[in-house]
Amino acid sequence: MPRLRMVLFWCGVLLLIAPIAAVVCDMPRFGDHPLPYGDAINHDAPRDRHVSNTVSAVNFDYRGFDTLGEEFMLVCAVTGAVVLLRGSRGESVTAEPGTLPGRGLPGRSDAAVLISRLMGPFTLLFGFYVVLHATVTPGGGFQGGVVIASGLLLLFMGEGYRGWRRIMRTPWLDVCEGGGALLFALAGLAPMLTGSAFLQNILPYGKFRDMLSGGLMQIENAGVACAVMAGFSLVLLEFLEETREPEHDDT
Amino acid sequence: MTTHDRLDMTAGLPWCVAAWLLGVGLYGVATSRNYVHLVACLTVVQSATYVVLLCVGYRWGAGPPIFYAHPPGTPAVDPVVQALVLTDIVVGATVSALLLAMCVQLHKRKGTLDPERLRPMRQ
Amino acid sequence: MTALVWIILLMTTATGAGVVFSREPRQQVLAIAANGLVLTLLFSVLQAPDVAFSELAVGTVALPLLFLVALTSIRTDRKDPP
Repeated sequence: MPRLRMVLFWCGVLLLIAPIAAVVCDMPRFGDHPLPYGDAINHDAPRDRHVSNTVSAVNFDYRGFDTLGEEFMLVCAVTGAVVLLRGSRGESVTAEPGTLPGRGLPGRSDAAVLISRLMGPFTLLFGFYVVLHATVTPGGGFQGGVVIASGLLLLFMGEGYRGWRRIMRTPWLDVCEGGGALLFALAGLAPMLTGSAFLQNILPYGKFRDMLSGGLMQIENAGVACAVMAGFSLVLLEFLEETREPEHDDT
Repeated sequence: MTTHDRLDMTAGLPWCVAAWLLGVGLYGVATSRNYVHLVACLTVVQSATYVVLLCVGYRWGAGPPIFYAHPPGTPAVDPVVQALVLTDIVVGATVSALLLAMCVQLHKRKGTLDPERLRPMRQ
Repeated sequence: MTALVWIILLMTTATGAGVVFSREPRQQVLAIAANGLVLTLLFSVLQAPDVAFSELAVGTVALPLLFLVALTSIRTDRKDPP
């Protein structure tokens, strides 16, 4: 059977190698060809939308509908992963950890606690900074969401499972996850009430190079940040729940 | 023109690198004996698309498409492909998480992660 | 600048192959993190700070961590299949 797999693989390679070589030869010269779309957006975004980070302008304005799709892909993937992991373990996510049957609490080293407590708040602060400056400097909801999620994970490592459960009920993260996607969708639907198109940027654009520039992009950015932050925290937490050693297993 | 000579040297390299990443990732998928390893190989295949997209949008001597430090109008690389890659990196990671959750479930049900030992799928 | 792009592209081929050819998933976690770091360098050299940032947060922190916790939860699951 493995031999059959390899035969199939090499057949595929033989079939594809000629087209791939043709494509590689026909590709434009690296770094030396016209970029009409990029130039158009680099020209228009600072002038029309008062946004200095044109990547965010593409993400949340010019291709906002595409990002809405990505957002729902993210929510679907996270929901699937959480259902798969939580389904076999039961739904008692708000229960106090001590009362979860058959689960022990592994210990942590003092060094890990110290570093987590020192770095956790700074990481969270940096994450919020990155989210808020989406339209000005490199950053945005996608990157900032992941940074905030890793900051929350540091809190988890610093405070331990009990402390974590006390400050962070999982339904709160669930609401954040779905609410982020909902916020993005509502940001798309709200302009339609005023007779504009879906996702049309109807809010005032603000000042160029200002933190609050971009109008509707700020709301979409906040929605993305919520969904990404909650999604990554949820997935990591559900995996971590799996790793808690069952007590009856003494191997 | 010396810069042009140097351009020639790397003109086709990025596409070859992307093709190599695609090929080596697919080889890993085909020969993998562990589903967790297979998911990691898929992330390598994904990174091939990132390399292609960002190299297509690159321009020699241009700056980043962020007009905070330099004024609008200075040459910049293509922001469209960057936006595509940026979202896909984050969404791709959650898709990997979904696949890893499937691996965990598979190990719970069948006790193995080796595709070769999972042949009786029908029962 | 040209040489830098060239070197980092070659490093990408090496770390990409490293992820595939480290067969033991626990060693692979480090290979994934190294791959993420080299891709971060590549994206910053290609003038894409946004993407580099995203890859730094996801590829070198979140993704290896995800693999690590998944491997741990697989390892702690010693129950024999029914």
